[in-house]
Amino acid sequence: MRLGVPKELREGERRVAATPDSVKKLTAMGFRVAVERGAGSESGFTDDTYETAGARLADAKTVWGDCDVVIKVRPPKNAEIALLREGATFVAIIQPERDDIITERLAERKASVVALERIPRLTRAQKMDVLSSMANLAGYRAVVEAATNYQGFFGPQVTAAGTMPPARVLVIGAGVVGLAAIAAARALGAEVRAFDTRSATKEQVESLGAKFLTVSIDEEGEGGGGYAKEMSPAFIEAEMALFRQQATEVDVIVTTALVPGKKAPVLLPEEIVRKMKRGSVVVDLAAEHGGNCSLCVPGQTVQAGGVTIVGVTDLASRMGASASRLFANNVVQVLAEMGAGDKWKIDRENDVIRPALLIHSGEVLPRPKPRAPSPSQPAVIVPKDEPAMSIRPRDAPEAHAHPAQTKIQSPTRRAWGTTAGGLIVLAVLFGLGRFAPSDFLQHSTVFILACFIGWQVIWSVTPALHTPLMSVTNAISGIIILGGMLQISTSFDAASVLGALAALFAAINVAGGFLVTDRMLRMFRRDS
Amino acid sequence: MGSVGGIITVAYLVAGVLFIRSLGGLSKQDTARRGNISGIIGMGIAVGITAVAWATASSNSDGSRMVAVSLLAAALVIGGAIGSVLARRVEMTGMPELVAILHSFVGFAAVLVGFASYLSPDIPGRPAPTAGSVEHIVHLVEIAIGIAVGALTFTGSVVAWAKLRGTLSGKPVLLPGRHLINACVAATILGLTLPVVRYPHTTGLPYLIALAVLAGILGIHLVMAIGGADMPVVVSLLNSYSGWAAAAAGFVLANDLLIVTGALVGSSGAILSIIMCRAMNRSIANVIFGGFGTADATPPAAGAPAGEVREMKHDEVASLLGDAKSVIIVPGYGMAVARAQSSVHDLTRALRARGTTVRFAIHPVAGRLPGHMNVLLAEAGIPYDIVLEMEEINHDFPKTDVVLVIGANDIVNPGALDDAASPIYGMPVLEVCKAKTVIVLKRGMAAGYAGVENPLFHIENTRMLFGDARKSIEGLVRSPALSSTSASAA
Repeated sequence: MRLGVPKELREGERRVAATPDSVKKLTAMGFRVAVERGAGSESGFTDDTYETAGARLADAKTVWGDCDVVIKVRPPKNAEIALLREGATFVAIIQPERDDIITERLAERKASVVALERIPRLTRAQKMDVLSSMANLAGYRAVVEAATNYQGFFGPQVTAAGTMPPARVLVIGAGVVGLAAIAAARALGAEVRAFDTRSATKEQVESLGAKFLTVSIDEEGEGGGGYAKEMSPAFIEAEMALFRQQATEVDVIVTTALVPGKKAPVLLPEEIVRKMKRGSVVVDLAAEHGGNCSLCVPGQTVQAGGVTIVGVTDLASRMGASASRLFANNVVQVLAEMGAGDKWKIDRENDVIRPALLIHSGEVLPRPKPRAPSPSQPAVIVPKDEPAMSIRPRDAPEAHAHPAQTKIQSPTRRAWGTTAGGLIVLAVLFGLGRFAPSDFLQHSTVFILACFIGWQVIWSVTPALHTPLMSVTNAISGIIILGGMLQISTSFDAASVLGALAALFAAINVAGGFLVTDRMLRMFRRDS
Repeated sequence: MGSVGGIITVAYLVAGVLFIRSLGGLSKQDTARRGNISGIIGMGIAVGITAVAWATASSNSDGSRMVAVSLLAAALVIGGAIGSVLARRVEMTGMPELVAILHSFVGFAAVLVGFASYLSPDIPGRPAPTAGSVEHIVHLVEIAIGIAVGALTFTGSVVAWAKLRGTLSGKPVLLPGRHLINACVAATILGLTLPVVRYPHTTGLPYLIALAVLAGILGIHLVMAIGGADMPVVVSLLNSYSGWAAAAAGFVLANDLLIVTGALVGSSGAILSIIMCRAMNRSIANVIFGGFGTADATPPAAGAPAGEVREMKHDEVASLLGDAKSVIIVPGYGMAVARAQSSVHDLTRALRARGTTVRFAIHPVAGRLPGHMNVLLAEAGIPYDIVLEMEEINHDFPKTDVVLVIGANDIVNPGALDDAASPIYGMPVLEVCKAKTVIVLKRGMAAGYAGVENPLFHIENTRMLFGDARKSIEGLVRSPALSSTSASAA
């Protein structure tokens, strides 16, 4: 299979669909890779490194026209589609809903087209999910952009010249982007609060060390497919009141709110931006979809009343090298899912590839119904099956960590149990004392006292020595050797033989137990 | 005779005190060896004085005394020799088996002592009680109890030993209606005590034998029904039983030292069982009468969160370890099976030579014996002060760069913390999932013994390193990412 990697044409796009590392993997998978000259230069990958990695350098015409598979980042331009070899497979972000005729044009080329943004959010497909990996970058970069435009420290400073408080950052929307932004802002030392309509995100927000803001109205914002839905007017009113109040307090606002298929909701109208302190920064990650801030200009950084509003649309591209690496890895995984070079097959039954398969050999396929998300899963813009675990593990809930345990060890219950048990033992002893021979009572006394001593002594044994403890008790329970010895009488009878046998087995215990304990204890040594 | 009796009593007192000191000494590593020596001295005094008293008290002709003396000497020499060989030969990974089989010996000895005492109740220092008297009845009941407990300990320990060796499958064997079977057998054992007590002289012997056999069957059945990873509890419980068996023999023979020692061992085993059970958040009854891997556990395949597993290669793991500042290693039974402890030590040395903080986290029920992991690590030469207990280290995981889980599964299952549906919910576990990266060394993707799917394997910060634990770790140590720098540091 020949695989082509063209250069991205769109202005400002630094990413490339394959890196030298991914070329190595693709070559190993059985692809013969052709890379357009200069394809990776914007991201810092020179032509030489591609060549060393096993790629052939070619011009655009060869890359598009001579390859069985073409991989790319951005949707193709008309000129590019025209170059595409008939019947080839094309893998890229397509976004057909933004461009009515792109599907038609690609279908004309009899191509098979995989739209990367439509890879479903299955756990299995997580490694192929370009949206998540790009969103992660964007969230991080948004905070870096905010810090660049903000004129203060993010983290608190204590210097001889005075003490600086930390910057206060509000992140609206806690999907992958929002969570990445929270993590980045926290890492810079800022005090972070976050808001999301989906209460399931609370735990994730808090696990990253941010404060989760809530409104008094109880309404669940969980929509389908891991995104939020539009909220009721009453809720939006309460939300606005919250933002209005927060605007006066915070230094930086990062907005990430998107509702699928709709224009981004306006969360920061002009009146709220006016309330912000001079020198504050708003980073609007929804700029490409109309913006969460009404003053936002997509692709530009503007000033309004002393507030800087950053409306960048190419955050992922600004981190060209890292973005390319992640994107290229995602693409490698997609191609591997499709059978790689040797077992290449466009499988319409494959539950990962099918939803992304826009066109199959020129036939435009209907979009399959998305699978209903399981209601128990908290919805975030991360893959469906494990969002909670992927964010939460660093801070599992302490509060209910050992509930069942406390049930068993409840001190009052234990106290009652001990008391009741003690009373029963006492009653039995009194009963025995009335009838039993004194000899027996004397032995019972010794027995019970010895039990108590053992109980007191053993609890102080360190768990590390439990094995030696067991072997030493093995040895001393070999004291039953006395029983065997006492049974051997001078009249050579059955009892003597049994006694001798008992002594033999007990002697194994005594010798074995003590010696192995000694052997073990010699091994324990302190760190020198 | 009177003076000899006094000397014996004092000797037994001294021996008893030495045994207590012996157990007390084991509470800390510093005093542990002194404790063991106390035990040896105590045992020496007890056996020596008894032997002397026994030899001087025998009043028959010299000829038969020689037979008796040589019988005893032979028993002691042969037993001692077998014990020494066992102790010297056993591998530290095989400690659970040794401990289990030694329990069975105590149980067996208790049975023998019981029968011997039944056949010939006359022992030095105590004449046989007159038939039909209260003393006699008490004596017979004591014998019955001693034999029952002894037989149960014996067979139970043998089954535990076979399971630990792998001769028998570690899977619980569950007969239908097993609780009913247990109850019936136990009731029959109680019932059999009656004819034993009622029949004159030794005519009740068949009943006593039947009682021993039934108790033995009960022991087999109880332990067969317990799964492999519940073995720490079973072994400590049998440890306890072996103590009670010795104490029962003490009652039979009216010997205070046996009673005291048996009680000490019995409570020691009981405490260990309690500690193990708490570590699994289960009651003793739950362990003995079944829980995991039995009817009430969810089948592993259904409803398991089939998630993605990310694999990592040796070199990647090695460079991750090379970059880490602090590493915690969590060993489990898999490390013992793969005999990987000395490779683990090599890895530890390599990492520490680079200035990495390496510590070990031991879950109370890791392995098949309480404290088993500590012994294995000590055998490999890892200093005990970097080997920490669960409580000591659990809060340090969030500050840890890399956690290496070697052959452990259920004890690191985060489902126990937050998944109320998990069968092991509420069990205290090592919270490894809070670390920055978790590397799990595992043979394959099998579930733990509890059949519980482990969400740890699917979370974002977990990577799997598949293969034999020892080979994997040796691979890590040889990897250039670790070895080169450690060589230059050395």
